[in-house]
Amino acid sequence: MPAGRPSPGAQSARRPPPLPLLLLCVLGASRAGSGAHTAVITPQDPTLLIGSSLQATCSVHGDPPGATAEGLYWTLNGRRLPAELSRMLNASTLALVLANLNGSRQQSGDNLVCHARDGSILAGSCLYVGLPPEKPFNISCWSKNMKDLTCRWTPGAHGETFLHTNYSLKYKLRWYGQDNTCEEHHAVGPHSCHIPKDLALFTPYEIWVEATNRLGSARSDVLTLDILDVVTTDPPPDVHVSRVGGLEDQLSVRWVSPPALKDFLFQAKYQIRYRVEDSVDWKVVDDVSNQTSCRLAGLKPGTVYFVQVRCNPFGIYGSKKAGIWSEWSHPTAASTPRSERPGPGGGACEPRGGEPSSGPVRRELKQFLGWLKKHAYCSNLSFRLYDQWRAWMQKSHKTRNQDEGILPSGRRGAARGSAR
Amino acid sequence: MDLRAGDSWGMLACLCTVLWHLPAVPALNRTGDPGPGPSIQKTYDLTRYLEHQLRSLAGTYLNYLGPPFNEPDFNPPRLGAETLPRATVNLEVWRSLNDKLRLTQNYEAYSHLLCYLRGLNRQAATAELRRSLAHFCTSLQGLLGSIAGVMAALGYPLPQPLPGTEPIWSPGPAPSDFLQKMDDFWLLKELQTWLWRSAKDFNRLKKKMQPPAAAVTLHLEAHGF
Repeated sequence: MPAGRPSPGAQSARRPPPLPLLLLCVLGASRAGSGAHTAVITPQDPTLLIGSSLQATCSVHGDPPGATAEGLYWTLNGRRLPAELSRMLNASTLALVLANLNGSRQQSGDNLVCHARDGSILAGSCLYVGLPPEKPFNISCWSKNMKDLTCRWTPGAHGETFLHTNYSLKYKLRWYGQDNTCEEHHAVGPHSCHIPKDLALFTPYEIWVEATNRLGSARSDVLTLDILDVVTTDPPPDVHVSRVGGLEDQLSVRWVSPPALKDFLFQAKYQIRYRVEDSVDWKVVDDVSNQTSCRLAGLKPGTVYFVQVRCNPFGIYGSKKAGIWSEWSHPTAASTPRSERPGPGGGACEPRGGEPSSGPVRRELKQFLGWLKKHAYCSNLSFRLYDQWRAWMQKSHKTRNQDEGILPSGRRGAARGSAR
Repeated sequence: MDLRAGDSWGMLACLCTVLWHLPAVPALNRTGDPGPGPSIQKTYDLTRYLEHQLRSLAGTYLNYLGPPFNEPDFNPPRLGAETLPRATVNLEVWRSLNDKLRLTQNYEAYSHLLCYLRGLNRQAATAELRRSLAHFCTSLQGLLGSIAGVMAALGYPLPQPLPGTEPIWSPGPAPSDFLQKMDDFWLLKELQTWLWRSAKDFNRLKKKMQPPAAAVTLHLEAHGF
């Protein structure tokens, strides 16, 4: 729109007065000779399927008297239509035939306009050309701390109907009849909705999406779910990563159970992931069940690591299904101590002055730690683990000439740092 | 500021600077009243801000309506838009408006326009467009409040009916979608014109409120500072 001085006095039926000033507006009189009152387009605001045809007419009324359809022309979305598409039906009516219509250019409808010879607008009609909606699918929902429910879905045919399509998420308790409609749209993107309260536990919900537009409607399949099976929670707060004494290849990670569900997370699972500062590859430690600490082993000395933890409220209130993983906690950084001997890797440092009496114990401990480095994932330095190791030591002594790298149970730790 | 030789110059300059910035400057004539100066400035600033906001909102909205509505020189017939408050006015008439009338016309215009804007309930508009419209309505409500503040500071009564009650000129839906589009077009255009005019209105008011500071200077000089 022009930012300069407006001159609305220049109506189609009047010459603009020559004054270069702000003009006095003349009400009423300017209405008579102008605009849509002197012509009518039929059909008004029709809705059509893509590929169909349209026959329209522009009928000029007798005001001013003697007005004819001579010289009138059509535009569609501002572009003049070829003369061969229109013809005069009679003295006061201009007809138009449009075949094989494309989908509407904008959802507010295509603008079909009938113009007088001088270009002024006589009448207009909005054309809505599109497709009926296809069945929405792929509904997925999650509940944050059992307090609410957020669902998202995929619209059928990528949602391109060329018409405004209304999506409505509906839900009802399985055995209690009443349909409810979700009101908070666009919670996490265009095809999502958030139900903030009044959710019942222990009875399944039936959830579906209805898509409606001017040409029809479609309904998704019904999803039946129990709130307790789709619970997610906040990431664990207070994640602390610290060194383990002087051990140069280990870091200890500690966190707190997410507070909102802290009294219910009997079987919660956690996952830890970590990466070197300037790498994009995360290593994931998987089997952290219901602990709030873990020791990462097999790390590179003198390196900064970023660590994140997330939680899955598995088995909440007796649910048999896995819950939904929370977001990862904010990355926490820590660095492993520098290696005191030159060269890569290396085990624990040798102390300067040794204690002579603890020689064999020291050696055994060193070997144990070496084993730990290679094979342990989330190790707590417990007696159980130590015994496991001792058992392995004994077994490996028997098969000394054979392959040494296999654990008695056949497992390999998930946090091996040797590949780096 | 008058230049005076001698050691009184510095004190005079300092005093004038301090007093200029005190909101109580015009209050040398009235007691306690902060004066309308700052709120006139604020209202002026608001009209400029709204003008800027409207530019991007109108652009998006007209693109939504589609061509030819978003074409630069589009000038459709003005029909339902007859009920819109018109900003354009004869220059002499505008110049000669007294403060009360000037403010009242602004206040009434924006009350009307806000009402129409709120009724701009285009079901088919995108969520983003609906948000922008809602945001603009809130800002416009702020402008109305600001104008009301200026009127109160100058002792003028607010025009009746108060906003919130159902006005006689409440917009009904147009008989066809195309006519509705034309109404929308003119609403945005009229809004733009009003904001352009209001900036000039408040600038004029601002200038009218400035002389009291000069009066203070003269007053101090007379006492031989």
